[in-house]
Amino acid sequence: MASVELEQQIAALHPASFAWALACTRWNTPEAEEVLQSVYLSILEGRARFDGRSSFKTWLFAVVRNMAARARRRRWLEERWKTFGGSTAGTAVDPVLSEERGARVRHALGMLPARQREVLDLVFFHEMTVEQAAEVMDVSTGTARTHYHRGKLRLLELLGTEDLP
Amino acid sequence: MTPGDDEARLRAALAEAHREDAERTRSFEATWAAARRSTPRRSRWRWAVVGAGVAAAVAGVWLVARPKPPPTAPILGTRWVGPTDFLLQTPDLMTLRTLPPLDPAADPWTARPPAPRGNP
Repeated sequence: MASVELEQQIAALHPASFAWALACTRWNTPEAEEVLQSVYLSILEGRARFDGRSSFKTWLFAVVRNMAARARRRRWLEERWKTFGGSTAGTAVDPVLSEERGARVRHALGMLPARQREVLDLVFFHEMTVEQAAEVMDVSTGTARTHYHRGKLRLLELLGTEDLP
Repeated sequence: MTPGDDEARLRAALAEAHREDAERTRSFEATWAAARRSTPRRSRWRWAVVGAGVAAAVAGVWLVARPKPPPTAPILGTRWVGPTDFLLQTPDLMTLRTLPPLDPAADPWTARPPAPRGNP
């Protein structure tokens, strides 16, 4: 794929990619920006290469997910290191503590296991099929389907009677 | 409540969770440009890591292959003799420090088994 064409496709998917990066980082905006920048960097350097085996969006979302997982591991190590060093530097403020309705939904989503949260986000927000979500998450379709059903039940239970538009 | 209702509700919930995403999103141009800018920095890091690896390998090879200094003999006159060492010089010192010759025939491990008796 030519670099101009590639750039255009990435630009077209940028808002969706950022929304996905936010979901992967539990709505931590600075981390989502860093993740997306790292994704673009790895594409520019040729470390992440689209081979046409899936749709471009599925491939890009899978790269975002992997990069977010790497960032999460790095942050976990940094937090352990700070704890070990006795530093009292605080971690990022939890973005879900506000009282607004969107934040309450994000809080409920945050209580789900990562895979359930991811499959629900991909299916219900990004309009993917469970099969495409499975490709992004690098799991079998059966596994994705299980996470999808369990996640649906759990999120409905967590949302309770919350009135949603 | 039907499954369709549940799905509509979840769709609405996810849309609600993502409602403010657009306000948070940095423009594509800014993110792409930042990624482009950070490329040389990454390259410099990579070269630094490669350089450190090469230096470590060279140091390792030198440590293994460097010429060893010849073993030094003890300097004459430095052997310490205790004032009571002469008490250890007993007349039977050689007897005490050596094993007496043993008769191999008396050793049960090396002795030959007795020959079987012949038939009458």
